[in-house]
Amino acid sequence: MRTQTSAACIAGVGHTAVAARLGRSAWELQADAVVQAVADAGLRPCDVDGLLTEPGYSQGVIEGVTPHFLRLGAMLGLDPRFTGSEVLGGASAVAMVQRAAMAVANGLCEVCVCVYGDAPSQAPGVWGYSRGDGAAFGFFGAPGIHALAAARHMALYGTRPEQLGEIAVTFRHHARLTPHAQQRAPMTLEDYLASPYVVEPLRVLDCCQISDAGAAVVITSRERARDLKHPPVAIAGFSQAHCLTSLVNDDYLTTLPARRAAPEAFAMAGVTPGDVDLAELYDCFTIVVLLQLEDYGFCKKGEGGGFVDNGGLALTGRLPTNTAGGLLSEGFGGGMLHIVEAVRQLRGECGLRQVREAEVALVSGYGLGMNTHATVILTRG
Amino acid sequence: MNEARPLPAPDEVTRPFWSACAEHRLCFQQCRACGYRWLPASVVCPRCWAGECDWVPSEGEGTVFSLAVYHRAYHPAFQALLPYVVAVIELAEGPRLVSNLVGVQPQDVSVGMAVRLEFLDLDDRALPLFRPRTRGG
Repeated sequence: MRTQTSAACIAGVGHTAVAARLGRSAWELQADAVVQAVADAGLRPCDVDGLLTEPGYSQGVIEGVTPHFLRLGAMLGLDPRFTGSEVLGGASAVAMVQRAAMAVANGLCEVCVCVYGDAPSQAPGVWGYSRGDGAAFGFFGAPGIHALAAARHMALYGTRPEQLGEIAVTFRHHARLTPHAQQRAPMTLEDYLASPYVVEPLRVLDCCQISDAGAAVVITSRERARDLKHPPVAIAGFSQAHCLTSLVNDDYLTTLPARRAAPEAFAMAGVTPGDVDLAELYDCFTIVVLLQLEDYGFCKKGEGGGFVDNGGLALTGRLPTNTAGGLLSEGFGGGMLHIVEAVRQLRGECGLRQVREAEVALVSGYGLGMNTHATVILTRG
Repeated sequence: MNEARPLPAPDEVTRPFWSACAEHRLCFQQCRACGYRWLPASVVCPRCWAGECDWVPSEGEGTVFSLAVYHRAYHPAFQALLPYVVAVIELAEGPRLVSNLVGVQPQDVSVGMAVRLEFLDLDDRALPLFRPRTRGG
């Protein structure tokens, strides 16, 4: 394995508590996450000259005519050289890291904070949205589109409910080793199979948490990171691919744009799927994990079910995945908690859930009902 | 009391589609330049970007591309219909659309099943729905 490295790295990570209800506004959660990430990097507020934000679903991107980054930046007292908000749904967190890395590498800023935060408990019902005229057919919520994906994958490839359950159970086990995780109660495959359908074939336990949470990371140059608190985590490769055509695309429900993003990210990092020590895959629903395992080339199309069987995603499995529990059990951190966890794994800070000799981590972001995708490959040192 | 279903809200792009539905015709768009056929509505051909296209009525035959069985109502109008089937239908002419399957138990629906168009009238609008084709039907 030979890894190349971009000029940028991750120097700090931080997050708030993660829970169904925290009683704090999204703004407070975002600001708290920024403060913690900058402190973790050993930097001060005056060092920050870049700010990228993702407001989360319940807040919306624009409040009146004020873009999200503007109001948050004002509250943080920032007049940065580089800023913006990302609107790629669940791909936003990874996309912000990419945007920050490109900005740092090209000298547009030196220390860029990327932050996600949301407080859906203060905006009930926001996840039951419909798309366009889908409401007339009762086509509501995120589970619907993902149930269509799961049903088609099952029909084409014989994927079984127990295999989706294996993903949920494995991630719950990881969350039990994660002190800040939202769901830490034990879960068995029997529990999974007994959980009621939301939109069949997806059950309650196929669906991610809805969480009040904020998370942030600090991107800076390798040179600047040298004297900071933690050994830097290199941003070795990254890419995006999107499917905006949805149902017009023949492969829409069973192949994610990850399939197109993957080769570029691996090539930039100079690694192959076999070099990846752990994956933090966006997991709004179990089926999305299964599709990504195939689309990133960890297994062939249609073989995701077999890959996850028998603890394939466990800490000592074929590919340790979502080592803090993911959106399914750690809690919904907009994809930013996936990056935080990958950084902590590569730093060796994860205690009981530490993946041994973790050197290469793949993190994905995925959003807007199978439309957007972003990949980043992180390496130690 | 049951609330009414949310009705489609046609805009300047989707109005021809819903106007045709109101007359019980399910139309897709077809490019005059390259012949490509598609749904949902666009303002140019999504394949060749030509601006000239026609709204062409479907014969109403299709197959189930995938399906999702709702066990939870996200809107009160659907409470009494639970469990109901949202399906992606692939028309014989090629375009796909989201619709409902009616006249069938959810457990009897499968990917690839042949279905036939029908309309549900709602006020001055009509929704294109699908029903499994009967043998020889």
